[in-house]
Amino acid sequence: MTILTFTVILLLGAYCAGLLGSLTGLGGGVVVIPLLTLAFGVDFHYAVGAALVASIATSSGSGSAYVKEGITNIRLGMFLEIATTIGAVAGAAVAIWLDNSAIAIIYGLVLILTAAMQQRRKSDHDGVKGSEAARRLKLYGTWPQKDGSLKAYELKHVGGGFGVMLVAGVLSGILGIGSGVLKVIAMDGIMKVPFKVSTTTSNFMMGVTACASAVVYIQRGIIEPGIAFPVMTGVLFGALTGAKLLKRLDVSLLRKIFCVAILLVAVNMIYNGVTGKF
Amino acid sequence: MKTTGNKERDMQLLIGNTLRWGVTLACAVALAGGALYLWKHGAEPMKDYSSFDYHALPAGAETYTTLSGILDGVAHFTAAGWIQLGVIALLLTPVMRVLLSLCDFVLQRDWLYAAISAVVLSVIVCNSLGGAV
Repeated sequence: MTILTFTVILLLGAYCAGLLGSLTGLGGGVVVIPLLTLAFGVDFHYAVGAALVASIATSSGSGSAYVKEGITNIRLGMFLEIATTIGAVAGAAVAIWLDNSAIAIIYGLVLILTAAMQQRRKSDHDGVKGSEAARRLKLYGTWPQKDGSLKAYELKHVGGGFGVMLVAGVLSGILGIGSGVLKVIAMDGIMKVPFKVSTTTSNFMMGVTACASAVVYIQRGIIEPGIAFPVMTGVLFGALTGAKLLKRLDVSLLRKIFCVAILLVAVNMIYNGVTGKF
Repeated sequence: MKTTGNKERDMQLLIGNTLRWGVTLACAVALAGGALYLWKHGAEPMKDYSSFDYHALPAGAETYTTLSGILDGVAHFTAAGWIQLGVIALLLTPVMRVLLSLCDFVLQRDWLYAAISAVVLSVIVCNSLGGAV
């Protein structure tokens, strides 16, 4: 096919990726990787570079909307970003030694984890008593309720959350994805942060984590202009559309479809990785 | 217990707007490069992306992997140069966000978080420069 055809198809695919990514709270990278590797036969390294661009596009594109609403906990995000950025540096360093099959299998496992986490009951974690560490780090906050009032919340298990974030960072360095699922696990599951605060803060953080290894990716040559251009613009427009639609759509059906889709892709990835097709 | 005051809302709005502007700018630059790319190369067959070797980059890779190559491309209006410039602008948006938060924490005299933001910023900067070797 010609460059024009490839670019247009990729643009449309990236648009869907950005749309789905911002509607479900996951980064655009999750859809971009299988689109490139399975549909176009692109080498995994180029796909990882594209996913990184997509992650930053989703994060900055839709993140600005969430910051304005006052849900994101900037202090929590910044504190945890120490863990994710350090993890990302380590991950990017390790990535050179991994071949395509290994990356495919890791990616497949992350997808399965993502699908599993989507089924969790979303909790507001009322009445959580904050830990001493959380209080000293000023990690408590407030978030706006539907009636416009502000509800206060506290959190705990700071160390555990930090640890999971290190892993999230490493995965991000290897796969280029934002590891949104691990971030939500750390905040919602371990630190008992209200669900909406964790998803918006995670979305917010994805961009910074990706940034940490981005320059290294460019220098290694895995962010290729012919791929980066349609991915970046497609995801940006998709994420912006998604952020606008979010208020009006019933997202639960969408999440179910997405869940099935990523399970299929996960199985495909792991199978191909194990049988060495990559 | 600290509640979200006016100053914090202002900062959140500033960060949000900066992200929006940064993203728009990056997108515009990349679109310019992309349009040029399609104009010049649209009819050519798709590049072969099916294999990648860290030690054997495609010919002419400096135009999109090194800073000097990219800036050179921008000055000469090559598609690769402008697209990568757009990518770099996109990369800067989260960095700007950390920088703005750092300034905000300093203004609020929140030294703990000013320090935390500085650590995050230095990890990013050091890693980026370190890779330039």
